[in-house]
Amino acid sequence: MDNETKQKINKRYERELNRGERFWPDSIFKDLIVSLGIFVLLIVLATFIGVDAQPKVDPSDTTYIPRPEWYFLFLFKFLAIYGQIPLLGKIEWLATVVVPGIAILILALMPFIDRSPFRYYGKRVLPISVMAVIVVDIVMLTIMADVPTVTENGSMLPGILQAIAGMVIPLVAIILLFLMTFVFRRTSTKTMIWTAAISAVLTIGLTGSVLALFPVPAAQKTTVATTLVDQITAGQDLYSANCTQCHGDDGKVTKIEGVKGLEGKLIPAIHSTDVLYTLDDAALAQVIAYGRPEAGMTPFGKTYGGQLSASDIDNIVIFMRYTWDDRFEAPKLKPLFPPLAAGEVPSYAVHIQPIVKRYCLSCHVAGKENNNFLMDSYDNILHTGDHKANDVIAGDANSYLLQVIQGHPIPDPKDPTKTLIRAMPPNGHLPPNVIDALMRWIMAGMPQTAADAAKLSVTPTPAAGSAGTPSATPTP
Amino acid sequence: MWKKVYEWLDERLGLNDLYKNLLDRPEPKGNWWNTLGSAALFLFILQGVTGIFLTVYYTPSPDHAYDSINYIMNGVAFGWLIRGIHHWGATLMVVVVFIHMLRVFVTASFKYPRELTWLIGIGLFLLTLGMGFTGYLLPWNQQSYWATTVGTQIAGSVPFIGDFILKALRGGPDLSALTLQRFFSAHIWMLPAALAGLIGVHLYLIIKHGESNFPSKED
Ligand code: HEC
Ligand code: HEC
Ligand code: HEM
Repeated sequence: MDNETKQKINKRYERELNRGERFWPDSIFKDLIVSLGIFVLLIVLATFIGVDAQPKVDPSDTTYIPRPEWYFLFLFKFLAIYGQIPLLGKIEWLATVVVPGIAILILALMPFIDRSPFRYYGKRVLPISVMAVIVVDIVMLTIMADVPTVTENGSMLPGILQAIAGMVIPLVAIILLFLMTFVFRRTSTKTMIWTAAISAVLTIGLTGSVLALFPVPAAQKTTVATTLVDQITAGQDLYSANCTQCHGDDGKVTKIEGVKGLEGKLIPAIHSTDVLYTLDDAALAQVIAYGRPEAGMTPFGKTYGGQLSASDIDNIVIFMRYTWDDRFEAPKLKPLFPPLAAGEVPSYAVHIQPIVKRYCLSCHVAGKENNNFLMDSYDNILHTGDHKANDVIAGDANSYLLQVIQGHPIPDPKDPTKTLIRAMPPNGHLPPNVIDALMRWIMAGMPQTAADAAKLSVTPTPAAGSAGTPSATPTP
Repeated sequence: MWKKVYEWLDERLGLNDLYKNLLDRPEPKGNWWNTLGSAALFLFILQGVTGIFLTVYYTPSPDHAYDSINYIMNGVAFGWLIRGIHHWGATLMVVVVFIHMLRVFVTASFKYPRELTWLIGIGLFLLTLGMGFTGYLLPWNQQSYWATTVGTQIAGSVPFIGDFILKALRGGPDLSALTLQRFFSAHIWMLPAALAGLIGVHLYLIIKHGESNFPSKED
C-alpha cells in the first residue's frame, strides 16, 4: 500500500473521529450494558440449566460414544463426512490437519491477501459471501452433528445427504463465487449475493430434511448420583442386586449358603471392622472390580468382564462406608418407600417400583434367567412370565409372586418333589415391611398411580388408623 | 479532603494523564457490534475469577478430580454457581470471540493500520479454543475422557510428527494422570498467561489506532 492511500485512509478516519463520540462515557456505557447483560445471562444459565452430571471416567467402557465440546462438533461431523469419500477418505490427515490448517492460515493472513484499501461491503462481496457460506455450513454441521452417517440397517443415505449439504453445496458455491470474480469479471454483485443465498438456503433445507428423515437417536439418559444421599441409595440398590447372594443383606455372612460351587465356604464378614478398617476406598473398589476369582468372588468391574461401571463401584463403596463403617456418620436417608399406614394401599409408582428396583430388577430384566418374568414396568409385571396366569392375581394370596417372596417355593404340579419356582429372591429374604407392601398391593388389585391407590385405601387419611398395627407404624 | 487525596495520588500516579490517554479519547460513532471485544474481555476476566475459586477445591488427579468437582457442586456453598458460571462462561466466550471476529471481518477492520491487531486476534481465537479443549478434560468424567482421547488422536494424525504430538499432549501413549496434570497446567497457567499477554498487546493496539469506523460508501 503506498503512502498516498495510507494518508487518505488516515484523513478519512480523522474526519470520522471529529463527528464521533467519546470513549468515556459513550462507548464504555454500551460495553458495560452488554457485559452486565452477559453476567445476568450466565447466572440464569448456571441456576436454571446448570451443569449435567456425568459418570466418572471408565477407561474400560469402550462403548462410550465420544462427544466433544459442542463448538468442536462441526469438525467432528466434517471428519465423519470426509471419511466416507472413497479412497481420499482414507487419508485422514488431509481432513484433520491440512484442511483446518489451510483455513486458519487463510484467515490469519486475511489482511495480506485482501490488499485492496476498500472497506465498504459493496466492494468486498467475494470475501463476505464466501465467509457467509462457510459460517452457515459450520452452523449446519453443528446442528446435524448427532445424526449418524449410516442408519442401523446399513443405508448410506443420511451420510450422502449430509455430504451434499455440508460439503458439496458450499464447495460448489465457493468455487462459483471465485469464478465469478476472477474469470467472468462482469458478474454483478447481485448474482454473487444470490449464489451465496441460494447455497445457504439449500444447505439449511437439506440439513432440515436430514434431521426430519433421520431423527437423532435419543441419547440414553444415565442418571448420575451426585449427592451423598443419592450415592448411598444407588450403592444400596447395587449392593442388593449384586452382593447379597454371597454376603447377605447386611454383609454379615461368614459362611456362604445356597450358591452353586461355594456352598459352605467361609468368608470374612464384609461389614466388620477387620475388612473396613484395613481396606481403603481404592482397595475396596479394586476388590469389587477384580473380584476374588480364586476364592470364588466373580469380577464386577467392566474392565474385568463384569457389569458395573467405575461410578457404580464407587457408590457401593460409599454405601458400605456409610452403613457399616463406624468412622463415618451416615446422613439421614429417605426410606425406600414411604411407610404404610393401616388400611393404606401402596401404589406401583410410589412403593412397588423402588422395591422392585432394589430387590428384583437385577434378575428380572430381559436377557437374564427369570422364566421370562420381566419386572421393569407396570405392564410387564402384570403380563409377562412363563406362569403369567398365576404370577400376579388381584386379590389372591396364592399368587405365585406372593408365595415365593414369603419363602414358599412353588412345587411342580406334575412332580411335587421338584420345585417349579424357587423362593424369591433366590438368595436372601425380604424385610417384613417389603413383603407387607407387596401383599397389600396385590390384594388390593395392583393400583398403578398414587391416585388409584388412594381410592382403594380403607382409611381416608394415611395417618388416621395407624395405632395398633405394628407393621404399619409410620416413622414421624 | 478527597480533592487533596486525589491530587496527592495524581502527582505520583499520573491519574489525569491516564484519564486523558485512556478514557477521554475520541471514537467514531459507536455501534453495538463494537461491544463484543470488551464483552470477550469481560468474559476472560470472569473466567479467571471463577476459575481461581474453582482451584481452591479442584484436585487434578485421576483419583480425586471427579470427586472434587462433585464436592464443589454439592458440598461447597455456591460452588454450583461458580462452576455453572465458569461452564457457561466458556461456551459464551467462544461464541462471543467468534462473533467478534466475524464482525471485524465483515467491517474489514483488519485492514491498514490494524493488520497486527487481527493477527494477534487469531492467536487469541486459537488460545480460547485451547482453553475450551484443555478445560473439558478436567472434570475427569466419561464424556471428557473419551472426547479428549479422540481429540488428541486427531492431533496425532499429523504426518511424521503426529506420534510425537500425541505423546506430548498425553504425556505417554495413553490418557493418564500425566495427561490430566498437563492439561490442568496448560489450562490454568500456560494458556491464560499467553492469553493475558496477547490481550494486553491487542488492547494497546486498539488504543493506539482507535476503533475503526463502520465503513460507508466512501471507504
Ligand atoms: C459369588 C459370590 C460373591 C459375590 C456375588 C460377591 N462376593 Fe465378595 N467375596 C466372595 C468371597 C468368596 C470372598 C472371600 C475372598 C477371600 O476369602 O479372599 C469375598 C470377599 C469380599 C471382600 C473382601 C473381604 C476381605 O477381607 O478381603 C469384599 C470387600 C467383598 N467381597 C465385597 C463384595 C461386594 C461389594 C460384592 C457385590 C458387588 C460382592 N463382594 C459380591 C464372594 C462373593
Ligand atoms: C438372583 C436373581 C433373582 C432375583 C433377585 C429375583 N428373582 Fe425371581 N426369578 C429368578 C429366576 C432364575 C426365576 C426362574 C424360576 C427359578 O429359577 O426358580 C425367577 C422366577 C420368578 C417368578 C416366577 C415367574 C414365572 O412366571 O415363572 C416370580 C413370580 C419371581 N421370580 C418373583 C420375584 C420377585 C418378586 C423378586 C424380588 C423381590 C425376585 N423374583 C427376585 C431370579 C431372581
Ligand atoms: C480473547 C479474545 C479477544 C479479546 C478479549 C478481544 C478484545 C478486543 C477489544 C476490547 C476490542 C475493541 C472493541 C471492539 O472492537 O469490539 C477489539 C478489537 C479488535 N479485535 Fe479483538 N479481542 C479478542 C479476539 C479477537 C479475535 C479472535 C480477532 C480476529 C481474529 C480480533 C481482532 C480484532 C480487531 C482487528 C480489532 C479492531 C477492531 C476495530 O478497530 O474496529 N480480536 N478486540
